[in-house]
Amino acid sequence: MKISYLWIAVLLVSFSLSATSQDELSPERKQAVDSLALEKVRDLSKYISIIGSKETPWSEANRVIDRAEELFMPDSEIGVSSLNNPENISYYSVRKYFERLMRLNYKKVEIEWYNIEYMSNLQKQPDGTFVGVITIFQKFKGYDAEGRLVYQDTTKKDITVFVKRKETQIGGRLIGFWDVLLGDMRVKETSK
Amino acid sequence: MSLLVKNASKILMIIIATTILTGGFTSCKSKKKIAREKAAAEYELKVKQAKSDLTAMLNGTTKWSLDEQDSRLNAIKSYNIDDPEVMDLISKVEAKISMDRAEAERLAEEERLKREEAERKLKDASKYQEINNQLAAISTSTTIDAANKKIMLSMDQFASPDVPVLIIISQYGGVNDYDRPTTISKFLNYLKDKQQYKYNVESVKRDSLGKITELELIKK
Repeated sequence: MKISYLWIAVLLVSFSLSATSQDELSPERKQAVDSLALEKVRDLSKYISIIGSKETPWSEANRVIDRAEELFMPDSEIGVSSLNNPENISYYSVRKYFERLMRLNYKKVEIEWYNIEYMSNLQKQPDGTFVGVITIFQKFKGYDAEGRLVYQDTTKKDITVFVKRKETQIGGRLIGFWDVLLGDMRVKETSK
Repeated sequence: MSLLVKNASKILMIIIATTILTGGFTSCKSKKKIAREKAAAEYELKVKQAKSDLTAMLNGTTKWSLDEQDSRLNAIKSYNIDDPEVMDLISKVEAKISMDRAEAERLAEEERLKREEAERKLKDASKYQEINNQLAAISTSTTIDAANKKIMLSMDQFASPDVPVLIIISQYGGVNDYDRPTTISKFLNYLKDKQQYKYNVESVKRDSLGKITELELIKK
């Protein structure tokens, strides 16, 4: 038993050392990549408030859904919770989540994200992808036709972020870019 | 005794003449010695001063300009000081001045390039001011319709809705790091959605009709 614990410890240490040695980005570049990933989450925040808003025309909301979907890795899921049953968290595909959001049965919807920050910094993985977790707080407010606030909650959500260096040819030039994609968005807490 | 008295004057004369001759000779010899000693002292002072100046130039503790150091070095060399330490210092200072001159020229060139780059950026900024203003105007539109009208007008300047837009997120060692490339159609709508324009146009490529075929932006 002792030997297996020791073996696990050695593996963990060697994995963390190897991850550190592979992280060859300068602090300035790392900061730029960190900011880019945060910016993508802020973009998502904006898209969610546009899609959720009842004032957004149908065609615009659908266009924004397309843009928002492009932010995610294929097969990513978004968690949804409710104060009525906070333990029961449902997970939807990204497209389905946005379509549900657009059709929510309120006359007016306000969605605001705040305290968007890294819970776990971007760490380089053996395949070269940087993976991190960004935490956000979402304040949701739903109003009825009379303008009364009929539902509100605050959810804390964790979003996995994947950043990978890629290259593409544009106008005969080789362009090196950072591809930021969001993974699953998991509900961590739901409160009033 | 009378003979002694008789010759006393002669003896006195001889003594006086001997004294004058000996004294004159000694005085002449002493003057040359003094001159020699003076020259030696002056030489020593020169060597001492040369060593001091050369050491200061070598250690970079002098406030002389490179031209002043060069001229002082040439003056020291003209003394033809036959001292191994001075000769060693001269060759070291020559090498240092030559290195300092090369470094000063490199810095001046760097400064010139920086100035040119700043001037180019300023020129480009004013050259691209109109595009920057148009893009910023889309982001500050108060309604979706107003933004869409501005997007339509802006689109006219581009060769197609699929014109690539490259966004520089950081620059290091002459290499640009980009965000995922997008198209002008998507980017203009993005500005409408985000209601924020925090970029500057870095470069623009146009076709023969003057339409934009590639837009490169840099994050502020």
